Amino acid sequence: MKRFNIPLCTTLMLGVSTFALHAEPKTNMLHQWAQGSEAEAIAVLGETFEAQGGTWSQTAMSGHTSATLAKLRSDVVSGNAPAAVQLKGPEISEWTATGRTANLDDLATAEGWDDVVAPELLSVMKPEGNWVAAPMNIHRVNWLYSSKKMLDDMGIEVPKTWADFNAACDAIKEAGKTCIAHGAADWSDTTTFDSVVYGMDIDLYRRAFQEADVDAMRSQGMIDAFAQLRKMVGYMDEGINGRSWEQSMAMTMDGDAAFFLMGDWTVASANLAGYEEGVDYLCNQTPVDWGGTGYILNADSVVFFEQSDPDYIEGQELLAKIIMSPEFQVTFNVAKGSIPSRTDVDLSVGGFTDCQQQSQADLVAAVDEGTLVRSMAHNMTVLQKYRGAMMEVITEFVADDSITPEEAANQLADAVELQS
Amino acid sequence: MSLPASSGGLGRWLGDHIAQIVLIPTLLASFAYVVLFSVWTFWLSVSTSTMLPDPTFSGFGEYAALWQSKRWTVSFSNLFVFGTFYVIGAMVVGTLLAILIDQRVKFEAVWRTIFLYPLAISFIVTGTVWRWIFHPQTGVELALHDMGWISAQFDWITDRDLALYVVVITAIWHASGFAMALILAGLRSVDGDIVKAAQIDGASVPRTYARVILPTIWPIFLAVAVVLLQFAIKTYDLVVALTQGGPGVATTVPAIVVFDLMFERGQIAQGSAAAVMILVALGIVLIPYALYMRWRKRQEGGDHG
Amino acid sequence: MAETTHADFDALSTGSLRRRITAKAIVYALLTVFALFYLMPIVIILANTLRPLDDIVRTGFIAWPADPSLSHWAEAWSTFCIGGTCEGVSRYFKNSLAMAIPATIISTMLGLINGYILSKWRFRGADLLFGLITLGVFLPPQMTLLPWAWVLGNVGLSNTISGLILVHVVQGVSFTTLFCRNYFLAIPDDLIKAARIDGAGFWRIFRRIVLPLSPPIVIVAVIWQFTGIWNEFLFGTIFTSGDKQPITAAIVAFSGSGTGERHYNVEAAAVIMAALPPLFIYLVGGKYFVRGLTSGAVK
Repeated sequence: MKRFNIPLCTTLMLGVSTFALHAEPKTNMLHQWAQGSEAEAIAVLGETFEAQGGTWSQTAMSGHTSATLAKLRSDVVSGNAPAAVQLKGPEISEWTATGRTANLDDLATAEGWDDVVAPELLSVMKPEGNWVAAPMNIHRVNWLYSSKKMLDDMGIEVPKTWADFNAACDAIKEAGKTCIAHGAADWSDTTTFDSVVYGMDIDLYRRAFQEADVDAMRSQGMIDAFAQLRKMVGYMDEGINGRSWEQSMAMTMDGDAAFFLMGDWTVASANLAGYEEGVDYLCNQTPVDWGGTGYILNADSVVFFEQSDPDYIEGQELLAKIIMSPEFQVTFNVAKGSIPSRTDVDLSVGGFTDCQQQSQADLVAAVDEGTLVRSMAHNMTVLQKYRGAMMEVITEFVADDSITPEEAANQLADAVELQS
Repeated sequence: MSLPASSGGLGRWLGDHIAQIVLIPTLLASFAYVVLFSVWTFWLSVSTSTMLPDPTFSGFGEYAALWQSKRWTVSFSNLFVFGTFYVIGAMVVGTLLAILIDQRVKFEAVWRTIFLYPLAISFIVTGTVWRWIFHPQTGVELALHDMGWISAQFDWITDRDLALYVVVITAIWHASGFAMALILAGLRSVDGDIVKAAQIDGASVPRTYARVILPTIWPIFLAVAVVLLQFAIKTYDLVVALTQGGPGVATTVPAIVVFDLMFERGQIAQGSAAAVMILVALGIVLIPYALYMRWRKRQEGGDHG
Repeated sequence: MAETTHADFDALSTGSLRRRITAKAIVYALLTVFALFYLMPIVIILANTLRPLDDIVRTGFIAWPADPSLSHWAEAWSTFCIGGTCEGVSRYFKNSLAMAIPATIISTMLGLINGYILSKWRFRGADLLFGLITLGVFLPPQMTLLPWAWVLGNVGLSNTISGLILVHVVQGVSFTTLFCRNYFLAIPDDLIKAARIDGAGFWRIFRRIVLPLSPPIVIVAVIWQFTGIWNEFLFGTIFTSGDKQPITAAIVAFSGSGTGERHYNVEAAAVIMAALPPLFIYLVGGKYFVRGLTSGAVK
């Protein structure tokens, strides 16, 4: 054994020193896309990272945001902040305020991110003026999926306003069928409510859901919105509790329900499950009463935390570069149903569906019309504590018939006031 | 100990204190775990902590905010309702099963294993499977419909007044085998003469159990209750997998609120306040128990400590 | 123990033959009803591992497999994609073994020693210490998550299986000490005294007298610890990352609301795999579990 020691030592030392000279990009990305098309999209990210000389590892936390955040918080407390984390909206600014995030300004300048990233994402990715995150996509939350079969059978047009929508549902209910497919959960109930408030009164949406203005929450407009939500619960079937959103999606696309309100990740899932756009389902914006293009935006992004190991710092740069590359934005978003966060990507090539192309066109239109908002339900506007408190009230309202719209509006305001 | 040790000096000292010395590592760990972690949590609950722990003192405001939140008050009362029904229910079912098995049944080991196996199944899996069974569109109701009974209705899990009892039933399924195992073991240790005496007096079988056998093994019930209680307090995975706390907040339990506040919402101070309240609830139950045990020991004269 | 005295008593052996038969029939009928209720979940999981996905989606979970296939088992074990890695649950399974076995052994051994001291080498304050250690049984794990993260970070065990073992040992010692201490109380003090008069020391008494009497309680502690650690998911998911996660993390990943359809049949097979080790331990040790509990935890 002994005689091997010296050469072994030398090799090791040589190995170590070459190692230190050329930092080898490494990363460990924490995210919540554990399975399905999203996991496949992340796998593409990993493959690209490895192909460009990096060492990739990932921790997938299975779609429960609280578990991802718990992991992040415990890693930060233990002094091992992860190199890259999927985080969004106000969380980016909250974590930036703790002073633990990395500064990507040099890379951003070199790559010219400021010129190509959709302007509405800039303030989210640069909460204190420095780039701390790389946006992966833009999701549209206010999609209304309709069952083509059901609409044809009933002779109903896709509703444009909430009044149309209610009329359509009344007719469908009359015929003994389910109008809205829904799986109750705090986030999905709130997704629906996002579209309701926004479609009924865009100013109310901005004041209540973007600025957390409690007076707006107590207003007559909010009471009307809750009344509309109550009506919609009546258009749902009995089985909403414990049903997943994928099951609701399938209900609509199989023609067992007329409508499904959900973000554009549905497009990816539906197409993966073999449903066809225009044949099994139609995609339109959720009803708006103010006659324009509506767009509720949600975006996924990767936030980079400060590292001391040069390998991981190198890895962060490489990862950010790949995420922002047009090639990755295409592959990732085709798989995820969303659209690229870069404005300079042509969606007519590369396999984007009609619904996705519609999403991009509507985004541009909504920016022009000044109607673009970010999603409260999907954690793009107010702090988590306000959002969590609001979601509790909304999901309770959906679950409990005995709560009146007036009570709900007051509870919403009370819950938010309690947290400030 | 009062017995003389064999050698003198350091060796003698070591010999005398070996027990304490060996205990030290575990003790330090347990002390840190139980005391320091609790104190740390209490301190955070009165601090300004939000995203990350921050020791700056802020006051008891988070407790006030916590108690004004509907989700918390619902979850706290759920803990007492769930805990009571679960502990009593599991013990009643466990007792019944133990008595049945005690009737010199054939294949005793098979029966025992059937009732005990749920304890080996994780709460996550237990919750998931029972959700499949209870949900009207995947479980019993659908199966009954498929069999032709169209009007069959079995939708407790979607009913906000009944959903908590779905959690109770599922939890009883999980733990009653444990209660059975202990109680059965207790039944087997009862002195046959007492029972015979009761039989000669003409007591019926149920009466013999109720009046003679079960009262003699009451310490077992107490032990079972304590173990079940710690399951009840920690209940988290089961509810997450079974109902996600819904419909609405109807089946939320305190552990879920603690987790969400601390981790999802970045309100570490308020989440810590909620954790402290769980400890207080625990104290409400455990302190009388500890006092009772101490009193009982005094009654016995402390002869075997 | 007292089993023999009790065996003389057969509650249903009295009365007329007819009454006895009726009584037996009622006993077996009740047991059967209960057994069906207890077995239902596992039968449902097993049946669903064999069914094609579209059949499950159409007719729900409660239906007999019409066209059974074992392919989902292989898929769940070695090829299904979880968290972007298509290796099934096999590697998570190995991680869980690497965590649960050492954690069980260490916490059981420490529990034996603690129990021995707290019952046979009592000193001033021993009861208080015992109370303190057992309080650990009740701490809600959500509360201990952040302090544990801090501790693991400072001892350099973040995101390692060793870190998880440390957490489970410290928490598990509360249980094992409780079990063992109560069990050892039943060993007559005279036995220990006699050994000491013969010159036996602390460890010698432990090895020669206490350990040989311990198997029942060791079985209880091992079953309890192994099951608890194997099935724990909160620490398992939060304190590990990447390829070191335990099997419960994989099971939770199945149930997460990702996009794409849920593969219920593969999920069911994975669930069975995740349940096998603790089930195996219960099947093998179940008999001793009851015996050990009688003499141990019950005091």
